[in-house]
Amino acid sequence: MKSLFNKLGLAITFSPTGKALLAEAKRLTELFNARLMLIHVGEKNETTERLLSESISNSGLDESTIEIIRTNGDPADTIIKTSRDACVDLLIAGALEKENFIKYYIGSVARKIMREAASSVLILKSPSETPKSFKRFYVSTDYSSESEKTILTAYNFALLEKADDFVLVKDFHVPGLASTIQGSGSLDELEAAREQWEAEEEIKMSLLVSELNLRGIKVDIRCLYGKEGWEAGNYARIHNADIFAVTPPSKKLKFLDKLFPQNMEHVIKELPANLLIVR
Amino acid sequence: MSAGSITVFLLSISIMLFFAKLLGEFFTKIKQPAIIGEILAGVLLGPTVLGMISPDMLEWLFPKTGEVKTALDGFTTIAVVLLLLVSGIEVDFGVVLRHRKTAFSISLIGIIVPFALGFGISYLFPEMMGVQDKNIHLLFALFIGTAIAISSLPVIAKILIDLNLFKTQIGFIIIAAAMLNDLLGWLIFSVILGLMDNTGRSIGFGQTILYTIVFVVFVLFVGRKLINQAVPWIQSKLTFPGGILNFILILGFLGAAFTEYVGVHAILGAFIVGIAIGDSAHLKERTREIIQQFITNIFAPLFFVSIGLRVNFIANFDFVIVSVLLVIALIGKVAGGAIGARIGGLSKNESLAVGFGMSSSGAMGIIIGVIALEAGLIIEEVFVGLVIMALFTSIASAPMMSHFLKRKESFRLQDLLSPSNFLYSSATDKETLLIELANFAAPKVKIPAKEILQKVMEREKQGATGIANYLAIPHAKIKTNKPYVLTAKIKEGINFGSVDGINSRIVILLLTPENKNELQLQLLAETAKKFSNKEKIEELLSIDDKNIFIEMLKQM
Repeated sequence: MKSLFNKLGLAITFSPTGKALLAEAKRLTELFNARLMLIHVGEKNETTERLLSESISNSGLDESTIEIIRTNGDPADTIIKTSRDACVDLLIAGALEKENFIKYYIGSVARKIMREAASSVLILKSPSETPKSFKRFYVSTDYSSESEKTILTAYNFALLEKADDFVLVKDFHVPGLASTIQGSGSLDELEAAREQWEAEEEIKMSLLVSELNLRGIKVDIRCLYGKEGWEAGNYARIHNADIFAVTPPSKKLKFLDKLFPQNMEHVIKELPANLLIVR
Repeated sequence: MSAGSITVFLLSISIMLFFAKLLGEFFTKIKQPAIIGEILAGVLLGPTVLGMISPDMLEWLFPKTGEVKTALDGFTTIAVVLLLLVSGIEVDFGVVLRHRKTAFSISLIGIIVPFALGFGISYLFPEMMGVQDKNIHLLFALFIGTAIAISSLPVIAKILIDLNLFKTQIGFIIIAAAMLNDLLGWLIFSVILGLMDNTGRSIGFGQTILYTIVFVVFVLFVGRKLINQAVPWIQSKLTFPGGILNFILILGFLGAAFTEYVGVHAILGAFIVGIAIGDSAHLKERTREIIQQFITNIFAPLFFVSIGLRVNFIANFDFVIVSVLLVIALIGKVAGGAIGARIGGLSKNESLAVGFGMSSSGAMGIIIGVIALEAGLIIEEVFVGLVIMALFTSIASAPMMSHFLKRKESFRLQDLLSPSNFLYSSATDKETLLIELANFAAPKVKIPAKEILQKVMEREKQGATGIANYLAIPHAKIKTNKPYVLTAKIKEGINFGSVDGINSRIVILLLTPENKNELQLQLLAETAKKFSNKEKIEELLSIDDKNIFIEMLKQM
């Protein structure tokens, strides 16, 4: 079987979170049977070299089997460019706002990576030095081809992890619906319309599951009425998802999209769980 | 207030609510906006009818001056502020941004064209519109332009839900454009209000505009984020829905008070605060509905009844003014909206539907009229004209929109089933049948039969397409722009792996465009839904005439 991801990339830092991220990356490298590339953005000197070596050997990784790139520049841009040039297909990063020792890794870097990386991205909210496999997968779904790819990737990931739950969440919203009350609509009419739409979405979702031929783990479906992007993430958070998978928007985000967040932007801002962005 | 005045005040409110509900419900029953009945109630209770029958009774119930008048005016001011607050809550920037190209095009051109027409005619022929004072020519023309350009989201939303088009691409585009139209309309209107004579105001025009911009920017960019953090706390810690309703009203009134203070009318503040509140992802749908109910059933009727109380609609009916306003509103709004939609990339019929949809000015046009009347900018004849225009466009837009939307190309199963895409087959195995279907479909979709067959077979290998109750839906995505549905009735059943183990005797081939995943799922769902009743399917199987067969299938 073809590997889900062939080459993983990890931006390395020398902090407790950095150690935990290395441990997570090691586990995932073995899980996917992939190669690992470490990207260190910063000055190359004796201290950083020593710290890098120590970090790698402490994590149990074999330095000779991994690729290490040392580079300078704006952290986010450099990480994105380096991983693209090196054909990384899953870039792993931590989501923490602040690191203890070094300034490289701030929330805005993670956000930029989530928005702009060319590859798939896995953002870990609280990486552990003794990582465990992910058991609860939640996928925000629509009906696009890109979303199908996300579902299939997350599903294969879940199969490798022997996950317990795999839930496809479809959130949808009909803006302005409540204003029909002002136009002589009644609450019953609104309720009936929403129920009908939910039922239609559930049917379409179950058809989608059968079209995708997902076998191995039972697939649950949830259709939720609420703000698109936010509602599915909130559902994943409430149910303590280990992985929440999303599809990035097909167009590059403009300034206004960030000011008035929609879809994936809600997830980026609120990180309901470890986030898998499939590209 | 004296005990006598309080009694009259309470009595007049109860009478207003009673007649508003009575006539509002009647109009709802005959599928027309309730606002028409509510305004008519005002006409009955006001100088037009009651004033003719019993002027004393009118003066007693709704006096022109004094405490009762002040109290009623206060009530209607609150009502109009709340109406704008809930209009703001329903504005969703997400949908506006998702459809920004088309929505901007529709709302901008949909505002510019009617505004230009309304402004131009009012400015060039002020005497025709009853304006004698040359000092207010410009302001008057600006007011008329805006009153004609604004659209009514609730009327449009109600039409869309009645036509079952709310949750469709065209529905989202129309809603997005209407929301943007509201926002732009109120901003323009506020600037015009700022331009008005500022005697008695504490600040000048420059400051008014400056404070308004600062207010809008602050509420939409900073206030919105703070509100988003406060809403979940309020909804979880305070009693529901009391806590959140209280919070919304407090903010709404504060915003309204601020904009009134800076000289641009309270409604803008309420509207902008409403947008910031409505943007919160945490705001429960139930809250939106409760606040809508609360305002629609109590405050809105009082406001609309008060319209009829203001003027005598018969004495002030001026045929020329009403006709001019109606003609420029219909031409300007329909043409503006339709041209905008066409430029935004919609088809001809869709664009005309959008144009008629955007033409309903409803409550918003009336609110502008009231403010202009109160400010002394328009005479009563023009006010009557504006109200009639608002009501007429609200009534006319639904049937016209429905007419053009029905003419637009439909990809619903109902419209794709056709006797000309029907065949009888005596095939006894799946492959022979699929070859037959591919050969039949090939010239229709202009794709070689071999290619269709290959795609359909690929899908068959992936999993069974037999559903249940004699139905199988082999399907594939092909290089086409439109979906294609071919119905086949099979002499003897063929095994398509149906879940009920019954061989399939009705096989529906679905061929859909490669990039339209949702369309394929939609058609699969619609097809499966038709076959839920086994007895009816058995009845269908006894039909030999293909026309009757398809007609019966459509009706299932």
